[in-house]
Amino acid sequence: MKLKIKYNRLNRGLYLLLMLALPLFSLGDDKVNALFDKANQLYAKAHYPEAVQAYQQILNAGYQSAVVYFNTGNAYYKMDDMPSAILYYEKAHKLAPNDQDISINIQFANLKIADKIEPQPEFFVNRWWHSFILFLPVNKLAGLGVLFFIGGFALLIWYLFTRSYIIKKASFYVGVIAILAGIVFIFMANRQVSYFDGHHQAIVFSNSVIVKGSPDLNAKPLFVIHDGTKVNINQTNQNWIEIELPNGNTGWITIDNVKDI
Amino acid sequence: MKKRIGLIIGLLLCTTLLFAQGKFVATASKTNVGVGEQFEVDFTMNGGGTHFSPPDFHDFDVLSGPNMESSFTSVNGVSTMSIGYGFILAAKKEGTFTIDEAAVVLNGHTLTTSPIKIKVKGQAPPQQAQQAQAAAPDDNPKIDTKDLSKQIFVRAVTDKTKAYVGEQIKVYYKIYTRVGILGGQPDKAPDLNGFWNQDVPSKGTVWKSEVYKGIRYNVATVKESMLFPQHAGDLQIDPLAITFMVELRLPSRNVLDDMYGNIKQMKYSSKSQPITIHAMALPAAGKPADFTGAVGNYTVYTDVDKKELKANETLNYTVDISGTGNLNLINSPKITTPVDVEKYDPKTNDHIVVDSNGVSGSRQFSYLLIPRHQGNFTLNPVEFTYFNPSTQKYVTVPTKPFTIKVDKGDAQANVPAFNSSDQQDIKLLGSDIRYIKTSSADVFKNGEGFYDSALYYILLLLGPVLFIGAVFYRRWMTEYNSDIVKVRSREASRMAAKHLAFAQKELTAGNRSAFYDAVAKGLYGYLSDKLNIPVSDLNKENIVTQLEARKLDSTIIKQLVDTMDLCEMARFAPVTGISEQQVFDKAKNTINEIEDKI
Repeated sequence: MKLKIKYNRLNRGLYLLLMLALPLFSLGDDKVNALFDKANQLYAKAHYPEAVQAYQQILNAGYQSAVVYFNTGNAYYKMDDMPSAILYYEKAHKLAPNDQDISINIQFANLKIADKIEPQPEFFVNRWWHSFILFLPVNKLAGLGVLFFIGGFALLIWYLFTRSYIIKKASFYVGVIAILAGIVFIFMANRQVSYFDGHHQAIVFSNSVIVKGSPDLNAKPLFVIHDGTKVNINQTNQNWIEIELPNGNTGWITIDNVKDI
Repeated sequence: MKKRIGLIIGLLLCTTLLFAQGKFVATASKTNVGVGEQFEVDFTMNGGGTHFSPPDFHDFDVLSGPNMESSFTSVNGVSTMSIGYGFILAAKKEGTFTIDEAAVVLNGHTLTTSPIKIKVKGQAPPQQAQQAQAAAPDDNPKIDTKDLSKQIFVRAVTDKTKAYVGEQIKVYYKIYTRVGILGGQPDKAPDLNGFWNQDVPSKGTVWKSEVYKGIRYNVATVKESMLFPQHAGDLQIDPLAITFMVELRLPSRNVLDDMYGNIKQMKYSSKSQPITIHAMALPAAGKPADFTGAVGNYTVYTDVDKKELKANETLNYTVDISGTGNLNLINSPKITTPVDVEKYDPKTNDHIVVDSNGVSGSRQFSYLLIPRHQGNFTLNPVEFTYFNPSTQKYVTVPTKPFTIKVDKGDAQANVPAFNSSDQQDIKLLGSDIRYIKTSSADVFKNGEGFYDSALYYILLLLGPVLFIGAVFYRRWMTEYNSDIVKVRSREASRMAAKHLAFAQKELTAGNRSAFYDAVAKGLYGYLSDKLNIPVSDLNKENIVTQLEARKLDSTIIKQLVDTMDLCEMARFAPVTGISEQQVFDKAKNTINEIEDKI
């Protein structure tokens, strides 16, 4: 006699969520963690150059992490190498845009560089918009978006099959809201990626760079910038880049003066 | 007579005792003379001596002498006696000549003088000039100042010419004179650029006799200073210029002069030679970070006036630095107090003595501390560091820490009126970057971020796809369940399975009649649901007709009818020839076969 086993729909949903969430919570392999711990201990003992080396080993192995970038920046800061410190802080900021520690250390490092640039005030709507889309790191936004999206549809499926009126009503509205929230998260992730893609930035590493009016060695010098200054790269012309300072000044310098964030 | 001899013996004894420290020196009135010029050579014995043998003045003409003179002085009960033999000489020819040593025997020892070099150059100043001066009396006779510079001059003397920055240097300004001085006044105090200057208070001028470059002078120290170089390099001690009013004894012009002497008073200025001091920078090697420039030799003593007090009461913490060196230049040592203890700028108390031995004494720093909260706190030891120039090393003097017990104080005591509540702002002591994150490395491979990965898109699609699937599934389900007959027929096998499972249980329990009952119920129930026959019409004939109408195999129908008969019979009589298990299997097979076909 063939007996049909009825699939438990609720269980299936739970397994699905678990399967989705796992990659988000997964840890790096043990070797990376061991290196990370060793580097942190070196930092705590104030062996900063050795700590930088250990952090760099993690990064050179093809990993990236806001935490590792941040710690590397701190070690460079303690070694008084401000351009490198700012470079790594900015890399960390890109991966974890809303991290207060990173923002504060960027401010500290910027106090120690030669150029003091007053940024142009941002229109408040823009400022709100940027702080909104930079609220969480892109991967977390994407993960949350997917979770909410799938969770919302799971609730809608539940809505289709449940018999209780109250559950039906609740699951419908909650499901729709979850799907909308998921869409918002995915949209934020998308905007954040395009924000960082559009803001191609670099840190000046040469001690003093004369910014020219056009991509030409004999062009008119416009102003001088020093190491540690963050510049936006507007466009590239062979080995020349057009940079824009936060105060709105633009000009051309050769690409070997800067390092990309 | 006897008395006199005794007196003489007594005096002789005295003299031998007194003149035990005999000194025998030769001095010349001039060392640069012209040919034929007269000059005087004196041999002076402090404390007698016999058998004086003068040197052989073969290069000079002895014009007079030996002229013996003796003096006896008694100062503060100390008697000194000196005997001098004077010669007046004149040089015969130009050149440098040596007056050989003279000898004298004192207490069996032979004392000798040191030879004197006399330079003879040029002619003696013409006698006529002096005669002209004498002939034409003048109130301000021309006096050769060059000549006077040998008679009276100011000399600066230092105890060292090389010193570390901050090391003490003694400077004396001395007047050397062979003429009478009526008065003198320094033109201006020397500028001592590059030095910290501490004058030794003058205790009055004391004249002493001193031989300088073979000539005896009356010498007095007019100014004594302690100098401390302020920076490294060659520093110059400026000369001191003094204008004297001197008294000159001139050759007599007439009888009155012979009686009273021809004495002229005149002003004369003299300047000491500048001295260059090479000031060395303090060694950089081993220089402690808290070194503030103290050079010398010091001891440090710290104390507190109480070890237990109430909050908001005052506490005096004193740091006493004593010793010798540049005490005036010592800065207050840095003391570290807990943040909750208010510290005021220290009061400085100096007990500094400047004498000819240098600058010494103590400098006391008194700190006023006010603990604002109760509890125990520790006053960390003060580390005072100085440079010792004699050992050329930095020395850190340790002091002891103090533990102060602060009891709860009166809330309002000593607190300014405007501070009505006990609350305080948190004091920001400094700022630093945020510390590294140590919890988890949180790494991912480059280009393997979740966003934009294949999994991301698959999972995004999963929701809508599942939902659409669910919609279609539901639509099919609705259709599927809308026909009650079909539903019942689908449910039939489930009902039968239930009855058969119950039958199986009865079988294992050995309950025969209940077993057959359950099997029959299972069969009838199944067929009623499957063939849609109401329970009222449920009988064997009806079932067979219905099954035949559905074109079921006749063997299966026969098997079914057999099983049903068997079950009915077994309810009333024992069944033989077939076991209960076989009946059960048969019923199960039949249901399965009907299920397969229909």
